[in-house]
Amino acid sequence: MAYVATRGGEQAIEQAERLFRAEMGEITPERVAEIKTALPYLIDRVMGEASLYDEDLAALALAQAGGDLYEAVLLLRAWRTTQPRLHVARPIDQGTLFTHRRISAAFKDIPGGQVLGPTLDYSHRIIATDVLEGARYIPAPVTPAATPAPAHQPSVAAWQAENDLVEMPGFDETAPEDIPDVTREPVLFPATRAHRLQSLARADTGATLALGYAAMRGYGQAHPTVNELRLCEAEIIVTHPKGTAFSAGRVKVSQAEVVSKKGDTLELGFAATLGWNEVKCISAATLDLNSKGAPKGSPTEEEFYLYHTEGVESSGFCIHFKLPHYVTFQSSLDAMRSAKKTSKTAEKTSTSKEPAQ
Amino acid sequence: MSVTPQSLKTLSRAWEPMSYGFLDASAKREMRRKMIKAVAVPGCQMPYASREVPMARGWGTGGLQVSLTLIRPNMRIKVIDQGADDSVNAASIRHFLARVSGAPTTLDTLQADLIQSRHRIPEEKLNEDQILVLQVPNPEPLRPVQPNMSVARQMHADADYGRMWLQLYEQIVRSGRVMQGASYPSMVNGRHVMTPSPIPRWDVPKLNMAQHLTILSAGREKRIFAVPPYTRVEPLVFDDVPYKVEEHHDLTCSRSGAKGFFMNEIPQEDGSSAYELSDSGFGVKHIQQGIGDAVTLGKTWYENGEMVE
Amino acid sequence: MTLTLDAPRIVTTRPLVTLRDVTKTYGDVQAVTRVSAEVFPGEVLGIVGESGSGKSTLLRMMNLEDTPDSGSYTLDLPDVQGNLFELGRFARRMLCATKIGIVYQNPHLGLLMKHSSSGNVAERLLIAGERRFSVLRDKARAALAASEFPLERLDAPPIELSGGMQQRVQLAKAIALEPALLLLDEPTTGLDVSVQALVLDTLKRLQQDRNITMVIVSHDLGVIRTLADRVMVMRRGEVVEAGLVDQIFQDPQHPYTQQLVHAKL
Repeated sequence: MAYVATRGGEQAIEQAERLFRAEMGEITPERVAEIKTALPYLIDRVMGEASLYDEDLAALALAQAGGDLYEAVLLLRAWRTTQPRLHVARPIDQGTLFTHRRISAAFKDIPGGQVLGPTLDYSHRIIATDVLEGARYIPAPVTPAATPAPAHQPSVAAWQAENDLVEMPGFDETAPEDIPDVTREPVLFPATRAHRLQSLARADTGATLALGYAAMRGYGQAHPTVNELRLCEAEIIVTHPKGTAFSAGRVKVSQAEVVSKKGDTLELGFAATLGWNEVKCISAATLDLNSKGAPKGSPTEEEFYLYHTEGVESSGFCIHFKLPHYVTFQSSLDAMRSAKKTSKTAEKTSTSKEPAQ
Repeated sequence: MSVTPQSLKTLSRAWEPMSYGFLDASAKREMRRKMIKAVAVPGCQMPYASREVPMARGWGTGGLQVSLTLIRPNMRIKVIDQGADDSVNAASIRHFLARVSGAPTTLDTLQADLIQSRHRIPEEKLNEDQILVLQVPNPEPLRPVQPNMSVARQMHADADYGRMWLQLYEQIVRSGRVMQGASYPSMVNGRHVMTPSPIPRWDVPKLNMAQHLTILSAGREKRIFAVPPYTRVEPLVFDDVPYKVEEHHDLTCSRSGAKGFFMNEIPQEDGSSAYELSDSGFGVKHIQQGIGDAVTLGKTWYENGEMVE
Repeated sequence: MTLTLDAPRIVTTRPLVTLRDVTKTYGDVQAVTRVSAEVFPGEVLGIVGESGSGKSTLLRMMNLEDTPDSGSYTLDLPDVQGNLFELGRFARRMLCATKIGIVYQNPHLGLLMKHSSSGNVAERLLIAGERRFSVLRDKARAALAASEFPLERLDAPPIELSGGMQQRVQLAKAIALEPALLLLDEPTTGLDVSVQALVLDTLKRLQQDRNITMVIVSHDLGVIRTLADRVMVMRRGEVVEAGLVDQIFQDPQHPYTQQLVHAKL
């Protein structure tokens, strides 16, 4: 009996996966390439949550998972974790970021200027149904500005710090190889700032938004003002064992600084992630801003939000409830039945309860 | 004598898509270190990095990382879920372990060197040469009284278990008995309270002074703990309110005829219930014995429905 | 309210509690400034003062919930040595769990509102290592009875009880292990006057029956006069006057005490 059942189980899972894959058909290099060019913001989101910068792998993961984001991120994370950690790149100074978009809600104008860059912020969200009827949607060409915006700009917080408006976190002297790495060690609480920002960088976008939004709506103590939001590219500078520093390429990154008035100074919240993901950066920076002194168990408490924005863990645990639980259920059932029996006999045998004094 | 010219190719190993046993050397090294720590302080939860593996969190990734670290090509492995070898997830994990290690698999507890299990301990006794790996969804026995992990960690450090005991007191006051079903909190080596993972109460006494090593691992929660051989494991009970396992002593398996072991209840259309052995491998052996096959039934922890002291 | 004017007990033994030069600041605020005090076995020390006088801060420090910037605190008990403010977290917890009982003004601070009343009391015994359910039950019942708690509500959660009853559960919890020192932080404040009198009667009876050493903090001179043998008057973190109850009430020396006493009378 069970021999057959065992093979049956193996066959069933095999066929179930086939059924899933049959829906999506063949995965080709062309499909992967098309996903990569057509869905850059999705690629960015997946790369950020996977904490792995590789557009081709991200596109492949999306194709292989049929667009299920949690599955795609898990695919990438499971691959990433087997890769050796070869090098720690140089810290990136904000002034050296190649900036595409950079805005501040705190000031009308800022040194370096407001650079709108690519955004849908002011577009009218009208779906282009014509395309479904055979029309082509051809984006209108971009007219270059008379004077191009400077590619490198200082951070707004740096200007505020100069003017004694904000207290910048002190420079972290930790040697590169000693920087705590959230992918190689567990987060313990209170977490190091490195762990906190790394965890937020790879947090699930939706979960980060949900908790960040809770803080914005008033479940946090500090209301964020977007001091600066940036979409940019960062040069990855590594050093050859012989001492030559060179660029290993550029990665897209986004970052947000949010501030809130505290007494006569501004408190700063910060977040950055691989890829361009504005919603996540603003939400994560809001959580960072609200962390200090947050009550235990509140959505802005570090332990609370870091655990609950971890997408691979939370989605995995959620779907694990599909697994059979009949042994635990049997065990509870036994306790319930026996308690019922006891209370029935107790009712029959005792006429009075605890004696009143 | 000819000298082969050396090149990068001859000096380095051939490229492989993954390491033996899937995990890379650095992950395995960390696992080994944390396992040793866990064995050194029985029942104490050790945080570990818990790498992602090609399976979703909550599906046995903690147990899997332990198995992947311990596995050798000549180790015989058994994987069970809810007692059954034929559960789809057990089949999936067994298949993965075999695929990345080349290790042989078995359904027979007696033949296994390494058993990865979700929610059960086999009915046949394990010996000193066997390792049991239990998958753990929630490693923190204090969670019902203290959801905050950092506070709970402090409570373990202080052996601050008053709230835990109070919970048992409250259950007796309200329901006339301790209502904890599976995952019965247990004191290990007289010092740390641990969850034995969601095994039924029936299985907890099997851990006490057991000959085998048990490693419990929670991948999602990144905690590992252990019960080394010959270690005391005592369910938290009041001196005058005895520990009660599930009342399965008198139940008989409708498929194999075995009696006095932990059973699955199968609701019947007529409103009654039938029972079958939860330990499926053990059940198969009983059936084989019944039809005259030569099988070896091992010594069991329970005899005639009672735990053998 | 009845004011019983017992003759103060004559104290000849060594003090149970000794506080020396206890100072505590919160930021720029000097909450407690160089307070020294002694409490003798079986004695009730009252601490009066307005809110912000530092009296509750002092009491919390005696319950080792807070550590002063400087000063010392000793308890003259077997197995208890040295300055208690220097104890580690674990030793503090064990000492408070077994030797010191406290009743807070706010029952939410002292009780698990959704657990049973008996369970609230039993937790103290559990921390001290009691592992017999029947004994837990009996001792919890006895402590609640001594606090004049209605036993038919033994297992009712405090959240379903009146304020007065909640204070009785706190009291039962505090005395369950027969503590060497019982701390009372405004135990009757916020209760109806009639209930207040009943709770005070219970406290007084308990004190007389068991000769418990108590420190009671209150802004209410009536409460202090009912229970205390000696009084310490605090203002802005400092002790302005101390003495026997009758002496303080009949012949206050410090202008602030005079003001307090006269405002009350």
